[in-house]
Parts: sequence; C-alpha cells; structure tokens
Amino acid sequence: MISLLYIILRLALWLLCAPLLPGIINKVKAWVAGRRGPPLFQLYYDLAKLWRKGVVMSTLASPGFIIGPAVAWVSLTGAALLMPLGPAGSALSFRGDVLLLIYLLALARFCTVWAAMETGSAFEGMGAAREVSYAVLSEAVIMTTMLTLVIQTGSISLITMLSPSAGAGAVLLGAGLFTVLLAENCRVPFDDPNTHLELTMIHEAMLLDHSGPPLAAILHGASVKLLLFAVLLVQTVIPIGEMSAPVAYAVLAAGVLTVAVGVGLVESIMARLAFRRVPLLLTTAFLLCLFALLTAWNGGVR
Amino acid sequence: MSDTLNLMIGLAMGLNLLALGCSQLSTLIRVVSLQGIVLGTLTLLMESERLDWRVVLVAIALITVKGVLIPGMLRWALRAANIIEREIKSFIGFVPSLLLGAGGTIAAVAFARTLPLLPEHAGTLIVPGAIASLLTGLILLIGRAKAITQVCGYLIMENGIYLFGLLLFHSTPMLVELGILMDVTVGVFIIGIIMDRIQRAFDSLDTSKLTTLQE
Amino acid sequence: MTQGLLLLIAFAALTASICTGFRRPRLWLSLTVIGAAFGACAALWALLGTEIWDWHGGFMIGGEALHLRLDGLSALFLMLLSVVGGAGAVYSHEYWTDDSHPASAPRGRACWSALMICMGLVLTVSNGMHFLIAWELFTICSYFLITLDRERKEVRAAGWLYLVASHAGTLCLFVFFTLLETHTGSWDLGPMREHAELAPLFWLALFGFGVKAGYFPLHIWLPSAHANAPSHVSAIMSGVAIKMGIYGIVRFSGWLPMPDGAGWAVALLGVVSAVLGVAFALGQHDLKRLLAYHSVENIGIILIGLGFALVAVQQGSPLWGQLALAGALLHVWNHGLFKALLFLGAGSVLHATGTREMSRLGGLWRAMPWTAALFALGAAAISGLPPLNGFVSEWLVFLGLFDAALSHGPSAWVAVPAAILLGVTGALALACFAKVCGVVFLGAPRSAAAHAHESGLTMRVPMLVLAGLCVAIGLAPILFWPSISRAVACWCPVWTAGAPSAPLATLGAAHITLTIMVLAAAVWLWRKSRANGLRRGPTWDCGYATPTPRMQYTSASFAGIISEWFRWILIPERKVRRPRGFFPTEAFHMEHVPETVLERVITPLASIVMKVSTAVRRLQHGRLQFYILYLLIGLIALGVLVFWGRAQ
Repeated sequence: MISLLYIILRLALWLLCAPLLPGIINKVKAWVAGRRGPPLFQLYYDLAKLWRKGVVMSTLASPGFIIGPAVAWVSLTGAALLMPLGPAGSALSFRGDVLLLIYLLALARFCTVWAAMETGSAFEGMGAAREVSYAVLSEAVIMTTMLTLVIQTGSISLITMLSPSAGAGAVLLGAGLFTVLLAENCRVPFDDPNTHLELTMIHEAMLLDHSGPPLAAILHGASVKLLLFAVLLVQTVIPIGEMSAPVAYAVLAAGVLTVAVGVGLVESIMARLAFRRVPLLLTTAFLLCLFALLTAWNGGVR
Repeated sequence: MSDTLNLMIGLAMGLNLLALGCSQLSTLIRVVSLQGIVLGTLTLLMESERLDWRVVLVAIALITVKGVLIPGMLRWALRAANIIEREIKSFIGFVPSLLLGAGGTIAAVAFARTLPLLPEHAGTLIVPGAIASLLTGLILLIGRAKAITQVCGYLIMENGIYLFGLLLFHSTPMLVELGILMDVTVGVFIIGIIMDRIQRAFDSLDTSKLTTLQE
Repeated sequence: MTQGLLLLIAFAALTASICTGFRRPRLWLSLTVIGAAFGACAALWALLGTEIWDWHGGFMIGGEALHLRLDGLSALFLMLLSVVGGAGAVYSHEYWTDDSHPASAPRGRACWSALMICMGLVLTVSNGMHFLIAWELFTICSYFLITLDRERKEVRAAGWLYLVASHAGTLCLFVFFTLLETHTGSWDLGPMREHAELAPLFWLALFGFGVKAGYFPLHIWLPSAHANAPSHVSAIMSGVAIKMGIYGIVRFSGWLPMPDGAGWAVALLGVVSAVLGVAFALGQHDLKRLLAYHSVENIGIILIGLGFALVAVQQGSPLWGQLALAGALLHVWNHGLFKALLFLGAGSVLHATGTREMSRLGGLWRAMPWTAALFALGAAAISGLPPLNGFVSEWLVFLGLFDAALSHGPSAWVAVPAAILLGVTGALALACFAKVCGVVFLGAPRSAAAHAHESGLTMRVPMLVLAGLCVAIGLAPILFWPSISRAVACWCPVWTAGAPSAPLATLGAAHITLTIMVLAAAVWLWRKSRANGLRRGPTWDCGYATPTPRMQYTSASFAGIISEWFRWILIPERKVRRPRGFFPTEAFHMEHVPETVLERVITPLASIVMKVSTAVRRLQHGRLQFYILYLLIGLIALGVLVFWGRAQ
C-alpha cells in the first residue's frame, strides 16, 4: 500500500514538474533576446485550456488518431517511472530495465507517428518520416551511452548505472547526450519548436491536425520526455549516488535547471541546421559517446 | 603530467575529427591553426623538466608558423583567389569520412598497444595521436577536392609526423627543426597556389569584359 | 511413449488429409487441424516433460533402420510448425478456394499437408539419409506450394530461383552428411562432440542450412519466393520453412564440435543480415516483398543470439550464452508468430484490393478494421515494442550481449558493436513498419483501395489466434521460459533448465501494468474527447484547395531519407523527369530497389558460367566422326600419361 502511494506520488511529481521545463527554456530565450516572454507556467495554462476544448478530427482518421497519443503518453510516463531520481531510486528496477526504457521511448514514437499518418496529409507524413529517420541515429547514440554506463559500472539496471558519474569520459558522454536531447526533443539546431508552417520541421509537423485533449496529451508527453532526458543527462555526468540525500536532490534539481538553461541558450545563439547536416551532427554525438565508451573500457582494464 | 599530456593529445585527436566533419573552409583553417597551437604548447609541456632555449625556440616557431602564419596565408589565399564557394567539395562524404577517421583513431590506439615502445612513452597517447593524425591527413588528401583543403590535410599529416618526432626530440637533434622547415615549405606552396590561381584567373578572363563589369 | 502415439495420430491425420485434399475441402481442413493439434500436443509433452523420446523402428527404409527422436529443441520447432501450419490451413480455406482457383486449390491443399508431414519428419528423424530424404521432399513440396499460381510468369521465375538456390544448399548437405557418415561409420545422428576432426564440417552445414534460413548473402531466393507465393504459403514459408534452416544450424552446432571462430562468424552474419535486411526492406514498395526482407532481418537477430551462445560455449559456457540462445530460440517462435500474422494480414489486403503495391493502397482501416488492427499489432511486435513478444526475445538477446560486454574478454569487442547495431536495427524496423502501417492502412484511399472489403471470419480467426499468442508471450514470458530453457538445455547440457537468469517475471508484470495503463488511458482520452465534443473536418492542407489522395506521403518518400543513407548497398534504380519551364507538362520520379546480391553478383557470375558452358558445348554437335576423333585423342592422352608415369 505504502509503495503504491509512493509510486503515485512519484508519478505526480513527474507529471507536475515536466511542463515547467519548456517554460524555463522560453524564459531564457526571452531573457537573451531582451523580451519579457511568456509566463513561466504558460504550458500549464495551455494544457488546461486544451483539456477543456473539443476535438476536430480529420474525416480520414480512425480512432487510432486519439488512441495513439494516449498510448504514447502512457509509455513516456512509464519510461519516466523507470528513471531513477537520485537517492529515491526508481518505481521499478530490475536487471535490463534500461532496455525497457529505450523501447518505451520507441513505442511512444511509433504511436505518435501512427497518429500523424492518420490524417493523410503530406505535411504530417513528412514530419513522421523525419522523426523515424533521425531516431535511428539517436537510438545508436543512446545505446552507446547505455553501454558505456554498463561497462563503467558493471551493472545493467538503471539505479546502479546512474549513481556514479560516467568516469573519465563523462564530458564526452555529456556532450553526446545533450546533442541527442536536442534531437529527440526537437529543439534547435535540429528542429524549431516555434515554427508551425515551414517545410523544415519535424515534431510540430506531426501535430498539425491534433486538437483538444489528444494534443494536450502529446504536448505533455513531450515535456515529460524532455525532463526524462534532462534527468538522465544530469545523472550520467554527476556522481549523484555518492552524495547525501538532500544534497543529491538539490544537485539533481540544479542540474536539470542548468540543462534547461543550456537548451535555452543554444536556441538563442544558434540557427536551425540544414537538414543534410543533421546526420553529421548526430554522428558526431555518436562518436563522442563511442570514445567515452572506449575510455570506460580502458578504465575497466586497468 | 601524463594526464595533461594525454588530454592535450586527445584534444588534438578531437580536432582531427572536427577537421573531417566540418563543411566550411574557414572552420577547417581555424581547426588546423588550433591544432598547431596545441602541438606547440604540447612541446613545452612535454619538455618542461628539461627546458632549454632550443625547446622554447622550437615551440615558439611552431606556434607562429602553424598557428598564425600558415592559417593567415590560407585565409589570404581564400580572399585573394576569390574563392566564392566557401563550402568544401568532397569525394568522400562528411559522415563516411568522420566514421573512417573515428575507426582509424580507434585502430591507431589498438595498434600502438602492440608496438614495442619505451616504458615512458607507452602510457601516453603520443604514438596513437601521431598515427591518427597521419590517417586523418590522408583521408583529407584523398577525399577532398579543393587545393586549400588539400593543404590543410597535408598540414594535419605533418602534425602527425611532428608528434612522432617529439619522441626523438633529444636523440635526433635536427629532426624537429627539419619539420619546421617543412612547414615553411608548405607556406611557399600556398603562395605558389595563389600565384597560380591569380595567373590563371587573369589569363582566362578578358580584360575588356572586366571593364564592362565595372559599370 | 505418449509422444510417439501423439505423433503417430498427427501423422495419420495429415496423411489422410493429403488424400482428402483433392475432393473434400472441409474434411481436409478438419483432418489438418486435428493433425496440427496432435503435433502441438506431442511438442508440448516433450517441452514440459523431461525425457527425450527416442524410438528405433524395427524396419528399414532405403537400407537404414528408422530412428526417430523428439527432444526439447526439435519440439520447440515442431510447436511452431503445428501452430502456423494449422492457422495457415484454416486461412487458406477462405483465401484460396476452389471457386477462385479451381485448378490449384486442390493441389495446394494436398501439398500443404505433405509439407507439414515433411517438415515434421525433418524435425524428428535422427538418421542422416532419412534427414536428406525428408529435407528434399520438404523442398519440393514448398516449391509446388510457391508455384501454385503458376500461370503467372514471375511466380514461375520465383519458384525456379527457389528450387535452384535450395539445391545448391542441399548439395552441401549431401557432402556434409556423407562426410559425417564416413567419419563416424554410421548414418545415425546424435551428439558427436568427441570427434574433434568433424569441426570443419560445421562450415558446410552453415552454408547448406543457411540457404534455407536466408541470412544475408544467401537470401537471394527469399524476397521473390515470399512475395509471389499465395499468402498462406508465404506465412508458413517465412514463419516455419526458413526456421528449418535455423533448426539445422542450431541442431548441428549443438551436436558437432565447433571450429574456432564459428561463433564470431555466425554473429557477424547475424549482424549483417539484421541491418541490411531491414535496410532493403525499407526500400521496397511491394508489401509482401518488404515483409520477406524483414525475415532476413529477424533471421539475423536469431543468428546474433546463436553466435554469442557459440562464443560462450567456447569460453567455458558463462551464463550470458544461455540468455543469448534463449533469446534466439524465443525469437524463432516470435518471428514465426508475428511474421505469419503479418503475411496473413498482407494476404487479406491482397485479397481485398488485388494489389501488393503499397503506393496504390491507403486508408484501408475503414474497410477492413480487423485486418488493420491485427496488422498493427503484428507490426508493433516485429518492431520489438513492449509489451509484445518481439521485445521479450530481443530483450533476452540484448541482456546476453550486455553481459558479454561486461566480461571484458574478446567477446566484448564484438558484443558492443553488435548491441549498438541491434539497437539501430530496432529503430530501422520501427521506421519501416511505421511506413507500412501509415501508407497501407491510414490516410486517404489511393487508386486500388477504393473497393476493399473486410475478409471473412475464417480468415480472421487464424490471425486472431496468432495475435493472441503474440500478446500472451509478451505479457507472461515466464510461462514460456520452461519450454525455452529445456530446448537450451538440449543444445548445451551445462545450461540446465531452471529459473531464468533474467527477471522475466518482473518484465511480464511491467508489461501487464503497461497494458492496463494503456487501455485505461486510451478509453479515458477517447471518452474525454467525446464528452468535449468530437467534430469531423477535412484534413488541414496548408491552404491548398484541392488535395488528392496522391499527394500523401508514399512508401518511397517516407523511406527516402534512410534509403539514401544505405544507397551504397541498395543501389536504387531511378527514372526521373523533373518539371521544366514555366508550365511543366509531365514529370515523374520512379524508384526501384533491386535485389542487389542477385542482380549485381549472382547474375553476372551466372552469365560468365553460361558463356563458358556455351563455348564448351560446341564440342557436342552430333557428328559421329568427331566423336571417334575425341575417343582417339583421349586414348592417346591416356597412353602418354601412362608412359610418362612409368618414366618417372
């Protein structure tokens, strides 16, 4: 009973905190540009409004148009529950949970893409095609990251993998993961979350026809995913397991904040990349992680 | 000290990959100049215990020639030869050459382990770094179309040879100095290229057309 | 003994069904299903029990005494055969009827039963000569099934290619079994790890069985055969028949001593097949051809697991080898189930629309909701998405690879790239099936999809059964562990059957929770949307006034980015005419991905061989005088040889 309560509390924490991150990023962007910017809680207001609104569905779409976002949302929150939070551990931990996490992200991707293809619009098809294509490269990076952690710590469950830092290759790994964070969460320089009507977008293109509660589910799921990657990045780089509990929580929160600010800064100073450059950047991220892996490997041999 | 040394060489190796991945000529030139500076600092760092005027001279010469002089000349060449296309043209695509370079770097590390090195050199990345730079230079030489990129590839290759030479700094006195001489030769090459280009540009262009363009 | 009895009943029922197949379809169906059910019972008995059924018949066939055996490993494959064979038989009852195909339907039914018997024999006989006979009969039966629709030229070509490729493999197997016989002195098969000199024979087996299994360079026959066969035949070919090749490799790698590097070679073949299989699949625009390439990919995943198990055995059998092999064997089941499901789904689409060309389909969910839902489930399963079965087996293989990477030995050097590439394969498969589902079932109907209709109950029930099994393995993998671990224990006795070394029960619990949450969230969101007011409107089209279904993303455009990355191996053929001028009239962009190995390697080689043999054939022209001359030359040559030898 206690543990169930505990899981519900943790879930509530994830769900409530996640929409804060895009708010912080937008604030940073506004601050750099010298604007006042939207309020910090803008996404909360948006979600609340969307949740109350009606749905317009394409005449071509099947019920999967609404079920897809629901499944994606559940799998993203499920992945979030698998992610340990410093000393609090994770809701469920077992040997090999890291793979479940990766594949839950894949399930979410499949469902979002499915919902996008429902409408038969060329725009959404284009966004979906780009999403799945670039995910191939991100998947390689994430898998390499996980392998690095596995080799570094000698364990295949996330709690033990993430408690020490990634060792000598932490900087490389951090850089690689940050790039993937930007790619997977559709941020500049891979995608521009502000444009809705350009031929250059990925994630936003897939949402063009969504409205009402399903759109709220997608937007909220996307923010959970961003928080998930931020938490993963922080715990990969910083040896949170070696700190006392209050310090660890503080460091985790500060780390996530730093990541958000970093994303905001990147968006402020960089332009979106040309599409043919995207594989190059992701390959670079992959190589960074690969070298981190080799460093971890060498550390193990010595 | 070995850690700082390895960090510097790691940086140089990272710059190698950056050189393979970057698509702008100006970035490439900047990368090459940065690598030259890194190598110069490395020389000082490595010989910090036996620091004498010769070491300092070599390091300063290296930094000025590779870090400032040659890149400056290359930039001047870019402007003077009126190279409008700032993008690098390539036979081997950027992603494949990046992957090739990374594979080469890993192979270099693995290969250097099998070499019978002196114990004081075995722990450092000098030899792998040298081999990796050689390979990177070769990939650039083979895979890129423009003459300026080729010069950059040659410079990176030459950096690798210099890194090798550092191991023998004291046993073969004139080797490193010879290396710097080679750099100067590169400089002369570049001037040659520019002269050639200007020559050709003026040969093939009709001056009367130039005057009409002026209006 | 019970197993023997069950197998006998299954055999009798299937033999009877061959005879009834020509005249009495209903009787044939019930007999086949009975046979399949009894086969499944026998397999279940062998998988759950402990003893190995080993039966020496008193009588001789072809000069050799009959020897049958059914252990955990063969029972595992027998189970798959029974399930897919039964399901395919039911499906064919509506799919390939006497009314629609009066000439081929009776023949198809008889061949189906014969094929099931032959595959069952391959799995149970334990004598080299009988194995070869059963193997050859199995090849021929499947050839007849592939060419059921033999009026079409491409079907005949596909069948011919299959027959030739299979026989190239069988030739190797002939050599393999003969050498085995000369070394051991008997045709009897069984564990022979003590004969160290037999190790190099494994390469023969790897090639001979590999042609049937269809891993990467040997997969040439697979796409065209799977694409052109009737769909229920494609299902059993892809679900079971290529697994017979895997059975051969697994069986003899367990029985024979292994040469050095066998594990590396198998794992390497696996990685290459997995990545390139899915890359080729992405380039396809023919629905069934695409599914066929996914067979190559999944065979690759199976081989990765098997390869690492072999490596583990060579390194003193650490426990990660058990995980890798268990993953591989579970993937044999899983691939059989979801691939059969997908092929049956593709068959329903073909049945309803008359085309396999994805770019002419679209929006089929409205006409065929059942097929769309079941196909989507199969697609999610084959992409390895939780909570379905594909994820469970890939997870086991991954765990084996991660543990191998942890071992820091030489195996880690291979395990790390293999794990990364397996992850990439998963993402590529997801991209591919997102494309298939999106282009075929979603969006607006294109030209051929306008008059589609849902398939009947007889075609849906087998698909439902297969889908149910996919879900069952996904939700309760721990229930299936005992069977898998028995098969693993048969392969390598060190890894005894017992509690799994991976937390399968926890994974199952997580999957069940996920399923409940997904269902709850779906219902909740649906009801919330309904409560808020659900309106229908046209798809927003960026202000363009007259959108047509042809403006949707097609399969080629969806896969364009990735197929560009793999251009070096796919070598797509393109015909492009760009729009020119101010008022362009006609423009098109056609892209086709040929079978690279077949068209760039095998065909040129074959044409060289053809040229040489044409040149040699000039010697044979029917003039008696010249033949006598040849005789004379031959005699003189012999004489010279003899004298020369004596002089030495």
